[in-house]
Amino acid sequence: MIAQRLRFDSTHPTQFIDLTDRIRAEVRRSGLTTGRVHLQSLHTTLGLAVNENEPLLLRDFQGLLERLAPGDGSYEHDDFTRRIDIATDEPVNGHAHCRQLLLTGFATLLVEHGELVLGRWQSVFAVELDGPRQRQLAMQLDGDFHAPVAHGRGDLVELELTRQLMIDPEPVAAPMRRLMEAGGKRLRPRLVQLTAQLGPQYEPLRTAGLAAAVEILHNATLVHDDYVDESTHRRGRPTVAAAEGPERAIAVGDYYFAKATRLIAETGNADVTQTIAAALEAICESQIDDVALRGAFPGDHDSYLRVVRGKTAALFAAACASGAQLSKASPEVVEALWRYGDLLGVAFQMVDDMVDFSPSSGKPVGLDIRQRVLSLPLIYAAEDREVGPEVRRLLAGSMGDDEVARVAELVASSPALRRVGDEARKLVEEAVRELEKVELNGLRPTLIGLARAAVDRDS
Amino acid sequence: MSAMVLERELDRLEGLWAEGLAELYRSYLEEVDGHDPELQPKLALAAALVDVGVRLQGLGGSAAPPAALLMGDLCLARSSRILTDSASQPIQIAFARAVEELSGAAASHTEAPAVRGLLVRALAAH
Repeated sequence: MIAQRLRFDSTHPTQFIDLTDRIRAEVRRSGLTTGRVHLQSLHTTLGLAVNENEPLLLRDFQGLLERLAPGDGSYEHDDFTRRIDIATDEPVNGHAHCRQLLLTGFATLLVEHGELVLGRWQSVFAVELDGPRQRQLAMQLDGDFHAPVAHGRGDLVELELTRQLMIDPEPVAAPMRRLMEAGGKRLRPRLVQLTAQLGPQYEPLRTAGLAAAVEILHNATLVHDDYVDESTHRRGRPTVAAAEGPERAIAVGDYYFAKATRLIAETGNADVTQTIAAALEAICESQIDDVALRGAFPGDHDSYLRVVRGKTAALFAAACASGAQLSKASPEVVEALWRYGDLLGVAFQMVDDMVDFSPSSGKPVGLDIRQRVLSLPLIYAAEDREVGPEVRRLLAGSMGDDEVARVAELVASSPALRRVGDEARKLVEEAVRELEKVELNGLRPTLIGLARAAVDRDS
Repeated sequence: MSAMVLERELDRLEGLWAEGLAELYRSYLEEVDGHDPELQPKLALAAALVDVGVRLQGLGGSAAPPAALLMGDLCLARSSRILTDSASQPIQIAFARAVEELSGAAASHTEAPAVRGLLVRALAAH
């Protein structure tokens, strides 16, 4: 199953936007051979239709919608004096909602032999009813893909993680177990497991060992980060530093840092150990830069990218490359996957920054602001002509709850989050293009799906 | 190790070199006689970095402030990378085990073996 979003801009109040070619391209790129494409409008004034793309006919449709729900008609929805909790920018659009009711918000298209099943005159339209606006459709592709997606191998990693923590001394294992059991996306081990299937020497158990070591390493860095950032909670639980004190946190971080490097060394693959060791060094260097840059908070785009490439992307890239190296994939494949991981890691961090401003994320809004952590939405908001001066003034002063809330409000009201989201999606598409340069044994759809899902999230 | 290579390996750690890392490095050079001459400086530097790294972090004592902890982390990471670039697998594993032993003891509030002793033993691993 691949889940993603189709984004587009409408340019007219009512507009039939033909998405057929884009959906066809997504089907081809995904490797779906037989199955379904499910589309769902994420808006109440955007419909879907399958019909003929003939300009005069489209004008007929527009005329029909106008007659059935006239734009200048009277709609109770537009009587703001009778409505409660309306936004300050609430549009007068009762007609658009009524027109949407005449259309559908969902469509399922069939795929056979890797192609959309459409009649000769059929096209798939998103029907804008209250434009111009930025729009998105949720899209899921499910069915049979070129190569079977591996199932159950994630369990091997979980088993290996459990096993490793079981044999460690309790004073280090207990806090690490609490951290790992609290969740985490397990993206890095997943990347190791996928890319380890690309070479001629794929061994699931050995791969699970490497994947678990990479996850342990990631969590070890988090234990120290939380002490440095004075974070009290992670994944909804107290951090090791908050629960057990900084001395224990330093010891736990060191223990698992060392253990992970040992487990990786025990794979006996010099390429793998060098790749991970280089990433670890990059992480540590960028952590130093990150803290140093807090003096110039909120920083600038170039500094942000430099830090994020080390802090987050280095281990994503190393996870991708090391899996391939473990299975003795070709250098071309390893390099392409390293670049894919690097781009994906930067995009992932950008979305993480956006999540800091999302009330539905489950985390307190504005944590990055409070901790003066480099954050791209904040950098863009500080650059913004409208809200920038107030954001910069607030950030320059002491940050109490009111100031943090105000900065978060200003960021949310500015184009900053949209800019960051656009940039992250652009990076993911760049990452996807890296995958197109090499043969990936049918795993391309899974890697594409994983990359897109990593940026289409709100937690 | 040529001066240029040494300089590269000390990137961001130059301040530490003057503050005791150089001395530690020289002391570990005396412990690597049995290795390939080309490898000796790298092994000595890797050991010195672990030694200074855990001291910077305050491992087993009072926690270091964040900036010192991060510098200590970098020392450990640099040491690990130097070893993966040049040392045998047994030495890499032995170094990791030495840090596991030190940090395990620190977390358990038990007396840790001397750092130098552990690292000298790791340097002899084969």
